[in-house]
Parts: sequence; C-alpha cells; structure tokens
Amino acid sequence: MEGFTYIDIFATEGIEYLVVIVFLLLIIPFWMFLNR
Amino acid sequence: MNGKTATEEINSFKDFMIFIRSELKPKGRIFTIFNVISAPIILLGAILIVYRLAKGLGWPVTNLSQDFPWGIWIGFDVMTGVAFAGGAYVLTFVVYVLGAKKYHPIIRATVLNGFLAYVFYTGAIFLDCGRWWNIVNPMIGNEFGVNSVLFLVAWHFLLYTLAELVEFSPAIAEWLGWKKIRKILASLTLGAVIFGITLSTLHQSGLGALVMMAKWKIHPLWYTEFIPVLFFISSIFAGLSMVIFEGTISHRVFSQQIDEEHHRTYDDILVGLGKICAVAMVGYFFLKVLVFIHGKHWSLINTPMGYWYLLELIGLVLIPCLIFVQGVKDRNLLSIRVAAILTMAGIIINRLNYVFIAYKWYIPMSERYFPTWIEIVITLAIVFAEIWVFRWIVNRMPVLKESPEWAREE
Amino acid sequence: MDRREFLKTIGIGIGGVACGDILIPSIVNAQNAFGGNEFFGVLVDTTRCIGCMRCEMACAEAHNLPLPDISNDSVFEKKRNTTETRWTVVNRYETEKGKIFVKQQCMHCNQPACVAACLVKAMKKRKEAHVTWDTNCIGCRLCMVSCPFDMPKFEYNSPLPKIQKCNLCWDRFQEGKLPACVEACPVEALKFGARRDLLDEANSRIFQNPHNYVHHVYGGHEVGGTSYIYLSAVPFEQIGFRGDLGTTPYPEFTTGFLHAVPFVDVLWPLILLGINRAIRREED
Repeated sequence: MEGFTYIDIFATEGIEYLVVIVFLLLIIPFWMFLNR
Repeated sequence: MNGKTATEEINSFKDFMIFIRSELKPKGRIFTIFNVISAPIILLGAILIVYRLAKGLGWPVTNLSQDFPWGIWIGFDVMTGVAFAGGAYVLTFVVYVLGAKKYHPIIRATVLNGFLAYVFYTGAIFLDCGRWWNIVNPMIGNEFGVNSVLFLVAWHFLLYTLAELVEFSPAIAEWLGWKKIRKILASLTLGAVIFGITLSTLHQSGLGALVMMAKWKIHPLWYTEFIPVLFFISSIFAGLSMVIFEGTISHRVFSQQIDEEHHRTYDDILVGLGKICAVAMVGYFFLKVLVFIHGKHWSLINTPMGYWYLLELIGLVLIPCLIFVQGVKDRNLLSIRVAAILTMAGIIINRLNYVFIAYKWYIPMSERYFPTWIEIVITLAIVFAEIWVFRWIVNRMPVLKESPEWAREE
Repeated sequence: MDRREFLKTIGIGIGGVACGDILIPSIVNAQNAFGGNEFFGVLVDTTRCIGCMRCEMACAEAHNLPLPDISNDSVFEKKRNTTETRWTVVNRYETEKGKIFVKQQCMHCNQPACVAACLVKAMKKRKEAHVTWDTNCIGCRLCMVSCPFDMPKFEYNSPLPKIQKCNLCWDRFQEGKLPACVEACPVEALKFGARRDLLDEANSRIFQNPHNYVHHVYGGHEVGGTSYIYLSAVPFEQIGFRGDLGTTPYPEFTTGFLHAVPFVDVLWPLILLGINRAIRREED
C-alpha cells in the first residue's frame, strides 16, 4: 500500500470564518454607502 | 402599581435608586400555586447544583455512562429548549423582515423568551460540561477548534444571545426612561434580527449536525445526512408551538396588562401561527418521507423502533399538522392549542431520540440511560427560574403592556 | 528493552544518535516516520496472541492506572470494554478456528472523529500518528459520541474528570521507548513501526501463509485507515470488529454541514435584507 499523506480537511476553516466576519462587518458600511 | 414609573422624570441618581428599589418589590400575590411549587424546586435545584459541581457528574448526580455520554441536560434542556426558543427568529423574520404587523403585539414577549431561554440553557451547558472551569476556552482561543461543529454551535449560541438582547433592549430603555438610548437601540433592531435569523439557521441545524459522526449508533430510521436540515425546519414549528403554548398562559396570567385591541387581535394571531406551523409541518413531513424512501428502510417499520418512529412521525407530526389545519380553517383556538401541545411532545421525543433513545437503541434496557431525580430537579429548577425572571420582567417592563407615550410617538 | 534493541526492532540501522532525537535510519519509510512525515502504527497479529494480558499490565504500570489481576482467566468469560481506568483490554472469542484473543484500544485513526469533534483541540492527532488528550478539555463528551470505536472514556466519578484512552504511549515515545504493550508482549503479537512498513509486513504475512489468515488487514482502510491494524485467522466480525464502518473518514460526515456554514453566513443576510427592502418598496 502506498504511504499515507495526511490532509487536514479543516485547514482553511478558520480563515473562512474570519472572511465571514470581515464580510458581515463590511456589509453595513457598504449598504449605507450604496444608499447615500 | 406603586412607586415611580419611568414616564415620570428621574432627575437624579437618588430618584433612580428610589425607582429601582420600588421595582424590586414583588408585584402580585406571593403564595400562588405556581410559586409554592416552583420556589422549593428552585432552592433545591440551587443546592443540587453546588453538589454537582463538588461531586462531578457520576451517580447519584446523573446516570450518564460511557455508552450514554449525553442525557436530558443536553437532550432536553439544550436541544429541545433551543428548538422551542425558535419562535424568536421566526417571528422576528415575519414582523421585521416581512413587515407583518399582525404579530407585533407578541413580538416582545417572544424575543424576551428567546433571550432568556438561551441564557438559561447556556447555564445548562455549563452544568453538563465535566470540566466546566474551562468553558471559556473555545471563546478565548484555548483553542479555537474550528474543525468542530460544537465550536460553531457555541459561538453562534453566544452571538445569538447578544443579538436577542439587542432586539429586546428598547424595552429595557423604555422601562428606565432612557429616551436617546432607546432611539439608538431601536435603529439596531433590523440588523440584529437579520443577524439573529442567520445565526439561528446555523445553530438550530448545527445541533443536529453534532451527531453526524455517531452514524451507526443512531437507528437508521433517524440517521440521515439531512439531520441538520430536519432540525432547522422542525425548529420553526417547535418554536411557534411554544409561542402558542406560552402565549396562552401569559395572556391569562398577565391579562390585566393587555389592552382591548391586543386581546381582540389575539385570535388572529393564533390562527396565523397555526397556519405557519401547518405549512412547515407539511414540508417537514414530506422531507421525512423523502429521507425514508431514500434510505430504503421499509423493512424496519415492522419493528419496535419502527413503531416508535411511526408514533413520532404520524402521531406527533402528521396528526397535529392536520389538527392545525382544522383549527385554522374553522378558527378553532382549542384545536390550535391542542395541536401545539402534541407538536411540542413530538419535538421532545425527536430530540431525545438523537441523544439517548434511538441513539444506541440496541443496548438492553438494564444498561440504558434514564435520568436521575437530581437531573430532573435541576432541569425543572432551570425552567422555573427562567419563568420567574420572565414574570419579573413582564411585570415591570413594557413587554405585554404598552410602551410609554414618548416611545410610541416615534 | 533498551534503545539499541528498540532501533533494531523497527529495522533501523544504528548510526549516530543525536540527543533526544533519534538517529540515522536505513529504511526510508522509517526515516519519514521519524521525520514526522509518516505515521507510526502497531500491527496486532491475533493469530499469535496467547491471552497472557501482560500488555494490560504493562499499560497500567506505564500510566499509573490500577493494576489488573492478570492471573485470573475468568475475566475472559465476559466481553470487557476499555474503561476510564483501563486503556487496553484483551478479549477472548470462540470461533470456528478455536479461541482467539484480541487486544482492544484506541485505534489512532488517520482522520480521527474525536479530533474533528473537539471544539478546543484537546484531542490532537500528532504527526507521528498518536491521538492524545489534553487538559484544556471542557468535558463536553462530543468525542465520545463521535468515536466509531467508542474509545474515549470519561471519569464521571471525579469532580475533576479527564478523558481516558490509549495515547500510543506518547510520553514514552518522546523518550525513545516502545509502547508499553508492544514491549511487554512475549510472543511478538504486537509490532510497532512505520505504518507503511507494518502494512507491508501484514500483507507479506498473508501472502506467505494464505491459509492462516483472512485476506484483509483491518484498519488498512476502515474509517479512512487507522494506526492500529489487525490480522485475523477468521472473519473480523467473529472477533468483535464491526464490518460496517466503511472507508470514509468520520470527520467527513460533518464537513457537508461545516463547509456550508460560511455560505449561509454570507447569503442569508443579503437575502433577508433584499426581501425586507423589496417589501418596503411595495408598501411605499
């Protein structure tokens, strides 16, 4: 059998959550800007 | 009611303290049946909580075991309790996102119940955690287990509690007479509602996702890759059924606070809630049928667990759904209330199935989990304490009674 | 067994020994394993186990657990599970080929369910393969719900409870020692080494003695592969192994949901805002 390469399937989960938080924070000024 | 109300001027800190002191006095009769029953249980619960913290989770505190690591504190207090609190996100969606003013009279009570439920069920989680002194770890980064469904549920729980507090805060500001602050808080409502609905979607479904890795331990009639979706959809009618149930009681207990118009529109509200429940339950029923067909589990129906499954799905989902339909068509409020109770029973059974009934259904009776009296008393104490706080707030803040003049003018 | 024998056992040539760290290996996989690039494992050959339970004793001694009474054969009459005071247990099964003894403990999965479940990363998968528990644990017991082998055990009777399970002798490993059970086994039913090498060893034993073994290495692919792998003379279901675990790593049962979370977090606010604005426009 071939060797096992360990793939961390959660490697990007933390960054994705951070991206979501950034999105939620930016959406409010973005919406206000659109409506000015 | 004696003492200053917040509509009178509070000009100084001294005035404020007089106001607070008068608000702290009990309102209403002290020796009601409910008080006589609930007060000793709350006191006993408090003592038992200290005992639990000192002794650990083992017998006689709980009947949890290596085979059954979760019992009624997770299965009932947290999973069922959170499903029942779903009325808040559904109704705020209807009232604030869709603008259906019909439900406005009950929105504050619903949001308050939602907020209190999450606060007290966080307490239940705290008690259930074996190493409770570490409970802040997922929050402070020791460590951020982003791989975990529970990490997500915990964070969404916390943030949702804050969102509900923001949604309820205008009522607190009205109680205290803080006009400017009330205005600011009211402007945050739609944002908090949108945030709250998003968070609710994920933690309601997330509670179901918690058991996804217990694949072969959960009876095949209940295990499906769609557990999170089923949890989310069922939280809609679970929450609204609780709103119907709790509203029925509140409207009687606090009826002197509720004005003419609110009493009159309440029938419309009940019928409306019944209608939403009926629709959600029809959808849920068909989802369960799809899951059943996809899993090809028909041979399992003719087994004891199969009959239990039919009881839950037919007896406590389909039948109350049909009773809701009849209640809506005939404007029969009793039917709607009966349907709500049956629905709630079905939700309790559904959640408990995933935790210790359909979970390891193959374990013989003698080794199964049954709650201890201590687990039950602490659960009751938590529920009663929440009702006490709810009552305290409703008797003082504009939840069921009208907002003060100055707030209504806006 | 001293360090020299340890190195010989896993087939590594003796070269220089750096302090703390180990050596100049002569087999490339072992080098990879020691370099943290591949997993270690334990091969359990149930055709060799005689049920002496010295592994249970050694494990208890190595980890300050209550010592079992291994002189008493009557414990085999009933199937035993590991507990919060017993990290490994040997069970006896009556099969078509007679009595077979099977050592049971945490399987140290390649993709452990418990590690995926843990919201504070108290359960860690080390790059050498060991799955270990750490004290930042909050005691939520989701690892217990999630483990397909029901291995994490909880100290319910303590007010300061820990999760207890085999940790592949992580502490001893840091000191260059073999797992206690492997070292104690008098008949070489247990073999420690690079997982890849052990799989080769297992397959070669099957190839060389095709009538003595079922042609399957349990743990090769089950739940995505485990570090503890087993050989058997009879179908594995007859000696207490589940045949329905599948080959999907258990964490992947949660990723459908988890990967949808950021999408919902982004889309829901936009949809809700859109509905709200659209309805308001109609009312104006």
